[in-house]
Amino acid sequence: MRTRTARSFLAVLLAGSAFGTAEAQDPRIGARLDAPTRKAISALVDSARAQGIPVEPLMEKVYQGLAMGADGPRIIVAVRSLTTELGSAHRALGAVATTDEIKAAASAMHAGVPAVELGKMKKQSGLRRSLTLPFTVLADIVSRGVPVQTAANAIRSLVGAGAKDKDISDFQRNVSVDIEKGAPPADAAETRAKGAAPAAPAKPERIEKSEQE
Amino acid sequence: MPDWGRTTLELIVQELQHPVRLDESFDRRVMVRVRRAYAERRPRGVAAWIGAAASVTRRPAWAAALAAGIVAVVTVGMLRPRQAVRAGVGPIPVQFVLVAPGARSVAVVGDFNNWGLNDTALVAENHNGVWSVSAPVRAGVHRYAFLVDGKQYVADPTAPRSSGDDFGMPSSALVVEGTTQ
Repeated sequence: MRTRTARSFLAVLLAGSAFGTAEAQDPRIGARLDAPTRKAISALVDSARAQGIPVEPLMEKVYQGLAMGADGPRIIVAVRSLTTELGSAHRALGAVATTDEIKAAASAMHAGVPAVELGKMKKQSGLRRSLTLPFTVLADIVSRGVPVQTAANAIRSLVGAGAKDKDISDFQRNVSVDIEKGAPPADAAETRAKGAAPAAPAKPERIEKSEQE
Repeated sequence: MPDWGRTTLELIVQELQHPVRLDESFDRRVMVRVRRAYAERRPRGVAAWIGAAASVTRRPAWAAALAAGIVAVVTVGMLRPRQAVRAGVGPIPVQFVLVAPGARSVAVVGDFNNWGLNDTALVAENHNGVWSVSAPVRAGVHRYAFLVDGKQYVADPTAPRSSGDDFGMPSSALVVEGTTQ
Protein backbone atom coordinates (compact mmCIF):
# COMPACT_ATOMS: atom_id res chain seq x y z
CA MET A 1 0.00 0.00 0.00
CA ARG A 2 1.24 3.49 -0.76
CA THR A 3 0.49 6.66 1.11
CA ARG A 4 -0.30 8.45 -2.14
CA THR A 5 -4.01 7.67 -1.78
CA ALA A 6 -4.06 8.73 1.86
CA ARG A 7 -2.31 11.99 1.09
CA SER A 8 -4.69 12.75 -1.77
CA PHE A 9 -7.64 12.03 0.54
CA LEU A 10 -6.20 14.40 3.16
CA ALA A 11 -5.75 17.09 0.53
CA VAL A 12 -9.38 16.72 -0.54
CA LEU A 13 -10.50 16.93 3.08
CA LEU A 14 -8.51 20.09 3.66
CA ALA A 15 -9.92 21.65 0.50
CA GLY A 16 -13.44 20.66 1.57
CA SER A 17 -13.09 22.16 5.03
CA ALA A 18 -11.75 25.39 3.55
CA PHE A 19 -14.76 25.54 1.23
CA GLY A 20 -17.09 24.84 4.14
CA THR A 21 -15.68 27.74 6.14
CA ALA A 22 -16.08 30.02 3.17
CA GLU A 23 -19.65 28.85 2.77
CA ALA A 24 -20.40 29.90 6.37
CA GLN A 25 -19.32 33.41 5.52
CA ASP A 26 -22.25 34.12 3.24
CA PRO A 27 -21.85 37.54 1.63
CA ARG A 28 -25.52 38.31 2.24
CA ILE A 29 -24.95 37.73 5.94
CA GLY A 30 -21.55 39.35 6.07
CA ALA A 31 -22.85 42.62 4.78
CA ARG A 32 -25.66 42.83 7.31
CA LEU A 33 -24.10 41.56 10.53
CA ASP A 34 -21.57 43.35 12.69
CA ALA A 35 -18.15 41.78 13.06
CA PRO A 36 -18.59 40.22 16.56
CA THR A 37 -21.91 38.64 15.56
CA ARG A 38 -20.47 37.37 12.30
CA LYS A 39 -17.52 35.84 14.14
CA ALA A 40 -19.76 34.18 16.74
CA ILE A 41 -22.10 32.77 14.07
CA SER A 42 -19.17 31.49 12.06
CA ALA A 43 -17.75 29.72 15.13
CA LEU A 44 -21.13 28.11 15.89
CA VAL A 45 -21.52 26.94 12.30
CA ASP A 46 -17.99 25.52 12.21
CA SER A 47 -18.55 23.76 15.52
CA ALA A 48 -21.83 22.28 14.30
CA ARG A 49 -20.22 21.09 11.09
CA ALA A 50 -17.43 19.43 13.01
CA GLN A 51 -20.01 17.49 15.03
CA GLY A 52 -21.86 16.35 11.94
CA ILE A 53 -24.85 18.57 12.68
CA PRO A 54 -26.62 19.97 9.58
CA VAL A 55 -25.70 23.64 9.26
CA GLU A 56 -28.29 24.71 6.70
CA PRO A 57 -30.97 25.26 9.40
CA LEU A 58 -28.52 27.50 11.27
CA MET A 59 -28.05 29.71 8.23
CA GLU A 60 -31.82 29.82 7.73
CA LYS A 61 -32.20 30.96 11.33
CA VAL A 62 -29.76 33.80 10.68
CA TYR A 63 -31.73 34.83 7.57
CA GLN A 64 -34.93 34.74 9.59
CA GLY A 65 -33.42 36.90 12.34
CA LEU A 66 -32.19 39.43 9.83
CA ALA A 67 -35.58 39.55 8.09
CA MET A 68 -37.36 40.08 11.39
CA GLY A 69 -35.04 42.87 12.39
CA ALA A 70 -33.41 41.07 15.32
CA ASP A 71 -30.14 42.44 16.69
CA GLY A 72 -26.87 40.50 16.70
CA PRO A 73 -26.96 39.14 20.27
CA ARG A 74 -30.50 37.86 19.78
CA ILE A 75 -29.54 36.08 16.58
CA ILE A 76 -26.55 34.50 18.31
CA VAL A 77 -28.77 33.21 21.14
CA ALA A 78 -31.25 31.76 18.65
CA VAL A 79 -28.55 30.07 16.58
CA ARG A 80 -26.80 28.70 19.67
CA SER A 81 -30.09 27.31 20.99
CA LEU A 82 -30.86 25.73 17.62
CA THR A 83 -27.37 24.23 17.45
CA THR A 84 -27.92 22.55 20.80
CA GLU A 85 -31.33 21.23 19.75
CA LEU A 86 -30.10 19.98 16.41
CA GLY A 87 -27.22 18.22 18.14
CA SER A 88 -29.53 16.53 20.64
CA ALA A 89 -31.94 15.56 17.88
CA HIS A 90 -29.10 14.19 15.78
CA ARG A 91 -27.87 12.02 18.64
CA ALA A 92 -31.39 10.87 19.59
CA LEU A 93 -32.46 9.88 16.07
CA GLY A 94 -29.23 8.24 15.03
CA ALA A 95 -27.28 8.19 11.81
CA VAL A 96 -30.21 7.05 9.68
CA ALA A 97 -32.20 10.24 10.28
CA THR A 98 -32.50 12.71 7.43
CA THR A 99 -31.67 16.39 7.74
CA ASP A 100 -35.38 17.21 7.55
CA GLU A 101 -36.18 14.80 10.35
CA ILE A 102 -33.44 16.31 12.49
CA LYS A 103 -34.72 19.81 11.76
CA ALA A 104 -38.32 18.84 12.59
CA ALA A 105 -37.19 17.01 15.73
CA ALA A 106 -35.28 20.11 16.86
CA SER A 107 -38.46 22.11 16.41
CA ALA A 108 -40.36 19.59 18.55
CA MET A 109 -37.65 19.82 21.20
CA HIS A 110 -37.95 23.60 21.13
CA ALA A 111 -41.66 23.13 21.91
CA GLY A 112 -40.75 20.98 24.92
CA VAL A 113 -40.65 17.38 23.68
CA PRO A 114 -37.74 15.45 25.21
CA ALA A 115 -35.16 14.10 22.78
CA VAL A 116 -35.50 10.61 24.21
CA GLU A 117 -39.17 10.58 23.22
CA LEU A 118 -38.28 11.45 19.63
CA GLY A 119 -35.62 8.77 19.60
CA LYS A 120 -38.17 6.17 20.70
CA MET A 121 -40.49 7.17 17.88
CA LYS A 122 -37.74 6.87 15.31
CA LYS A 123 -36.78 3.48 16.64
CA GLN A 124 -40.39 2.32 16.60
CA SER A 125 -41.21 3.65 13.15
CA GLY A 126 -38.48 1.83 11.33
CA LEU A 127 -36.03 3.17 8.84
CA ARG A 128 -38.21 3.76 5.81
CA ARG A 129 -40.92 5.90 7.40
CA SER A 130 -40.03 9.60 7.40
CA LEU A 131 -40.96 11.29 10.67
CA THR A 132 -40.56 14.84 9.38
CA LEU A 133 -44.29 15.56 9.31
CA PRO A 134 -45.14 13.67 12.53
CA PHE A 135 -42.46 15.65 14.39
CA THR A 136 -43.74 18.91 12.86
CA VAL A 137 -47.29 18.12 13.96
CA LEU A 138 -46.04 17.10 17.39
CA ALA A 139 -44.37 20.50 17.80
CA ASP A 140 -47.55 22.21 16.65
CA ILE A 141 -50.00 20.53 19.00
CA VAL A 142 -47.66 20.88 21.98
CA SER A 143 -47.39 24.60 21.23
CA ARG A 144 -51.22 24.70 21.21
CA GLY A 145 -51.34 23.39 24.76
CA VAL A 146 -51.56 19.62 24.38
CA PRO A 147 -49.48 18.05 27.19
CA VAL A 148 -46.20 16.64 25.89
CA GLN A 149 -46.88 13.05 26.89
CA THR A 150 -50.42 13.12 25.50
CA ALA A 151 -49.18 14.57 22.23
CA ALA A 152 -46.32 12.08 21.98
CA ASN A 153 -48.65 9.16 22.68
CA ALA A 154 -51.11 10.37 20.03
CA ILE A 155 -48.44 10.75 17.36
CA ARG A 156 -46.81 7.46 18.27
CA SER A 157 -50.15 5.62 18.06
CA LEU A 158 -50.85 7.15 14.65
CA VAL A 159 -47.44 6.29 13.24
CA GLY A 160 -47.62 2.84 14.79
CA ALA A 161 -50.99 2.23 13.16
CA GLY A 162 -49.57 3.05 9.77
CA ALA A 163 -51.11 6.51 9.35
CA LYS A 164 -49.96 8.36 6.24
CA ASP A 165 -48.74 11.94 6.30
CA LYS A 166 -52.14 13.10 5.02
CA ASP A 167 -53.87 11.39 7.98
CA ILE A 168 -51.52 13.11 10.39
CA SER A 169 -52.06 16.49 8.69
CA ASP A 170 -55.81 16.02 9.02
CA PHE A 171 -55.31 15.10 12.69
CA GLN A 172 -53.37 18.34 13.27
CA ARG A 173 -56.03 20.40 11.53
CA ASN A 174 -58.86 18.83 13.49
CA VAL A 175 -57.08 19.22 16.82
CA SER A 176 -56.33 22.89 16.15
CA VAL A 177 -59.96 23.57 15.15
CA ASP A 178 -61.24 21.76 18.26
CA ILE A 179 -58.94 23.79 20.50
CA GLU A 180 -59.93 27.06 18.82
CA LYS A 181 -63.57 26.14 19.46
CA GLY A 182 -62.82 25.72 23.16
CA ALA A 183 -62.04 22.04 23.62
CA PRO A 184 -59.42 21.14 26.24
CA PRO A 185 -56.22 20.47 24.24
CA ALA A 186 -55.55 17.06 25.82
CA ASP A 187 -59.09 15.85 25.14
CA ALA A 188 -58.96 17.14 21.57
CA ALA A 189 -55.71 15.27 20.86
CA GLU A 190 -56.82 12.01 22.48
CA THR A 191 -60.21 12.00 20.77
CA ARG A 192 -58.91 12.92 17.33
CA ALA A 193 -56.09 10.37 17.55
CA LYS A 194 -58.65 7.60 17.97
CA GLY A 195 -60.51 8.74 14.88
CA ALA A 196 -57.44 9.36 12.75
CA ALA A 197 -55.77 5.98 13.15
CA PRO A 198 -56.46 3.84 10.10
CA ALA A 199 -58.43 0.71 10.84
CA ALA A 200 -56.25 -2.33 11.25
CA PRO A 201 -56.87 -4.94 8.55
CA ALA A 202 -59.40 -7.46 9.80
CA LYS A 203 -57.88 -10.81 10.62
CA PRO A 204 -59.57 -13.81 9.04
CA GLU A 205 -61.76 -15.57 11.51
CA ARG A 206 -60.28 -18.69 12.93
CA ILE A 207 -62.43 -21.75 12.37
CA GLU A 208 -62.27 -24.15 15.22
CA LYS A 209 -61.51 -27.71 14.38
CA SER A 210 -64.56 -28.96 16.14
CA GLU A 211 -66.75 -26.69 14.01
CA GLN A 212 -65.17 -28.00 10.82
CA GLU A 213 -65.81 -31.51 11.89
CA MET B 1 8.91 -22.73 -49.18
CA PRO B 2 11.37 -21.72 -52.00
CA ASP B 3 15.09 -22.11 -51.41
CA TRP B 4 15.80 -18.39 -51.39
CA GLY B 5 13.21 -17.90 -48.67
CA ARG B 6 14.67 -20.64 -46.54
CA THR B 7 18.14 -19.16 -46.90
CA THR B 8 16.94 -15.75 -45.81
CA LEU B 9 15.19 -17.25 -42.79
CA GLU B 10 18.27 -19.16 -41.76
CA LEU B 11 20.33 -15.97 -41.99
CA ILE B 12 17.88 -14.15 -39.73
CA VAL B 13 17.94 -16.97 -37.21
CA GLN B 14 21.70 -17.05 -37.19
CA GLU B 15 21.83 -13.30 -36.62
CA LEU B 16 19.37 -13.53 -33.77
CA GLN B 17 21.33 -16.38 -32.17
CA HIS B 18 24.47 -14.31 -32.27
CA PRO B 19 25.18 -12.98 -28.72
CA VAL B 20 24.88 -9.20 -28.32
CA ARG B 21 27.81 -7.64 -26.58
CA LEU B 22 27.04 -4.39 -24.78
CA ASP B 23 29.47 -1.77 -23.77
CA GLU B 24 30.23 -1.96 -20.01
CA SER B 25 29.06 1.62 -19.53
CA PHE B 26 25.70 0.93 -21.24
CA ASP B 27 23.69 0.41 -18.02
CA ARG B 28 25.12 3.53 -16.46
CA ARG B 29 24.36 5.66 -19.49
CA VAL B 30 20.77 4.41 -19.69
CA MET B 31 20.11 5.11 -16.00
CA VAL B 32 21.53 8.62 -16.27
CA ARG B 33 19.07 9.38 -19.07
CA VAL B 34 16.15 7.84 -17.19
CA ARG B 35 16.86 9.89 -14.04
CA ARG B 36 17.20 13.05 -16.09
CA ALA B 37 13.87 12.46 -17.84
CA TYR B 38 12.12 11.74 -14.53
CA ALA B 39 13.58 14.87 -12.90
CA GLU B 40 12.28 17.03 -15.73
CA ARG B 41 8.72 15.70 -15.45
CA ARG B 42 8.52 15.38 -11.66
CA PRO B 43 5.90 17.67 -9.94
CA ARG B 44 7.19 20.03 -7.28
CA GLY B 45 5.80 21.57 -4.07
CA VAL B 46 2.42 20.39 -2.71
CA ALA B 47 1.70 18.32 -5.80
CA ALA B 48 5.01 16.46 -5.29
CA TRP B 49 4.15 15.81 -1.62
CA ILE B 50 0.70 14.44 -2.52
CA GLY B 51 2.07 12.30 -5.29
CA ALA B 52 5.10 11.02 -3.43
CA ALA B 53 5.07 7.29 -2.86
CA ALA B 54 6.13 5.81 0.45
CA SER B 55 5.74 2.37 1.85
CA VAL B 56 3.69 1.69 4.96
CA THR B 57 3.26 -1.49 6.92
CA ARG B 58 0.01 -3.33 6.31
CA ARG B 59 -1.72 -4.45 9.49
CA PRO B 60 -4.68 -6.82 9.52
CA ALA B 61 -6.45 -4.81 12.22
CA TRP B 62 -6.34 -1.63 10.15
CA ALA B 63 -7.51 -3.49 7.08
CA ALA B 64 -10.43 -4.95 9.03
CA ALA B 65 -11.33 -1.52 10.43
CA LEU B 66 -11.22 0.00 6.95
CA ALA B 67 -13.42 -2.77 5.57
CA ALA B 68 -15.90 -2.34 8.43
CA GLY B 69 -16.00 1.40 7.80
CA ILE B 70 -16.72 0.92 4.11
CA VAL B 71 -19.47 -1.59 4.92
CA ALA B 72 -20.99 0.82 7.46
CA VAL B 73 -20.98 3.73 5.01
CA VAL B 74 -22.52 1.61 2.27
CA THR B 75 -25.14 0.20 4.65
CA VAL B 76 -26.17 3.62 5.95
CA GLY B 77 -26.39 4.85 2.38
CA MET B 78 -28.68 1.98 1.47
CA LEU B 79 -30.85 2.61 4.51
CA ARG B 80 -31.51 6.20 3.48
CA PRO B 81 -33.39 5.83 0.21
CA ARG B 82 -35.83 8.63 0.93
CA GLN B 83 -33.06 11.20 1.28
CA ALA B 84 -31.44 10.01 -1.90
CA VAL B 85 -34.66 10.07 -3.85
CA ARG B 86 -35.62 13.47 -2.55
CA ALA B 87 -32.29 14.95 -3.42
CA GLY B 88 -33.14 14.43 -7.05
CA VAL B 89 -36.62 15.93 -6.82
CA GLY B 90 -37.01 19.47 -8.08
CA PRO B 91 -39.13 22.21 -6.55
CA ILE B 92 -42.83 21.47 -6.21
CA PRO B 93 -45.51 24.17 -6.70
CA VAL B 94 -47.09 25.16 -3.39
CA GLN B 95 -49.99 27.57 -3.07
CA PHE B 96 -49.91 30.01 -0.16
CA VAL B 97 -53.18 31.70 0.75
CA LEU B 98 -53.95 34.36 3.33
CA VAL B 99 -57.28 36.08 3.89
CA ALA B 100 -56.43 39.69 4.69
CA PRO B 101 -59.13 42.03 3.37
CA GLY B 102 -57.59 45.23 4.70
CA ALA B 103 -54.04 44.55 3.57
CA ARG B 104 -52.32 46.64 0.92
CA SER B 105 -49.61 44.06 0.20
CA VAL B 106 -48.85 40.49 1.23
CA ALA B 107 -45.60 38.63 0.65
CA VAL B 108 -44.37 35.20 1.66
CA VAL B 109 -40.91 34.77 3.13
CA GLY B 110 -39.31 31.66 4.54
CA ASP B 111 -36.49 29.18 4.52
CA PHE B 112 -37.18 28.42 0.86
CA ASN B 113 -36.25 31.96 -0.23
CA ASN B 114 -33.80 32.71 2.57
CA TRP B 115 -36.27 35.13 4.11
CA GLY B 116 -35.50 37.59 1.34
CA LEU B 117 -37.65 40.66 1.85
CA ASN B 118 -36.58 42.56 -1.20
CA ASP B 119 -35.17 40.26 -3.82
CA THR B 120 -36.99 36.96 -3.41
CA ALA B 121 -40.18 37.64 -1.48
CA LEU B 122 -43.20 35.99 -3.10
CA VAL B 123 -45.74 38.72 -3.65
CA ALA B 124 -49.30 37.46 -3.43
CA GLU B 125 -52.12 38.68 -5.65
CA ASN B 126 -55.26 40.15 -4.15
CA HIS B 127 -58.61 38.59 -5.04
CA ASN B 128 -61.16 40.51 -2.97
CA GLY B 129 -59.11 40.14 0.19
CA VAL B 130 -57.96 36.59 -0.52
CA TRP B 131 -54.24 36.83 -1.21
CA SER B 132 -52.57 33.92 -2.92
CA VAL B 133 -49.38 33.00 -4.67
CA SER B 134 -48.09 29.74 -6.05
CA ALA B 135 -44.39 29.20 -5.67
CA PRO B 136 -41.97 26.38 -6.32
CA VAL B 137 -40.63 24.97 -3.06
CA ARG B 138 -38.06 22.23 -2.80
CA ALA B 139 -38.81 19.10 -0.81
CA GLY B 140 -38.12 19.39 2.89
CA VAL B 141 -39.37 21.11 6.00
CA HIS B 142 -39.54 24.90 5.88
CA ARG B 143 -40.36 27.71 8.25
CA TYR B 144 -42.25 30.64 6.73
CA ALA B 145 -44.53 33.59 7.41
CA PHE B 146 -46.66 36.15 5.59
CA LEU B 147 -45.42 39.71 5.61
CA VAL B 148 -48.42 42.05 5.56
CA ASP B 149 -47.95 45.64 4.39
CA GLY B 150 -44.19 45.16 4.56
CA LYS B 151 -44.04 45.32 8.34
CA GLN B 152 -46.25 42.78 10.12
CA TYR B 153 -45.46 39.08 10.21
CA VAL B 154 -48.45 36.75 10.28
CA ALA B 155 -48.41 32.97 10.63
CA ASP B 156 -50.41 30.87 8.19
CA PRO B 157 -53.60 30.06 10.12
CA THR B 158 -54.10 26.85 8.14
CA ALA B 159 -50.61 25.42 8.72
CA PRO B 160 -48.84 23.92 11.72
CA ARG B 161 -47.16 26.48 13.94
CA SER B 162 -43.43 26.67 13.99
CA SER B 163 -42.17 26.46 17.53
CA GLY B 164 -39.02 28.44 16.84
CA ASP B 165 -40.39 31.97 17.21
CA ASP B 166 -37.12 33.17 18.72
CA PHE B 167 -37.54 36.65 17.36
CA GLY B 168 -40.97 37.33 18.82
CA MET B 169 -42.75 36.92 15.49
CA PRO B 170 -45.06 34.03 14.58
CA SER B 171 -44.18 31.63 11.79
CA SER B 172 -45.54 28.43 10.32
CA ALA B 173 -44.10 25.07 9.29
CA LEU B 174 -44.41 23.55 5.84
CA VAL B 175 -43.45 20.00 4.92
CA VAL B 176 -43.06 19.33 1.22
CA GLU B 177 -42.73 15.69 0.41
CA GLY B 178 -40.77 14.78 -2.66
CA THR B 179 -42.15 11.28 -2.87
CA THR B 180 -45.53 9.78 -2.36
CA GLN B 181 -45.98 7.47 0.54
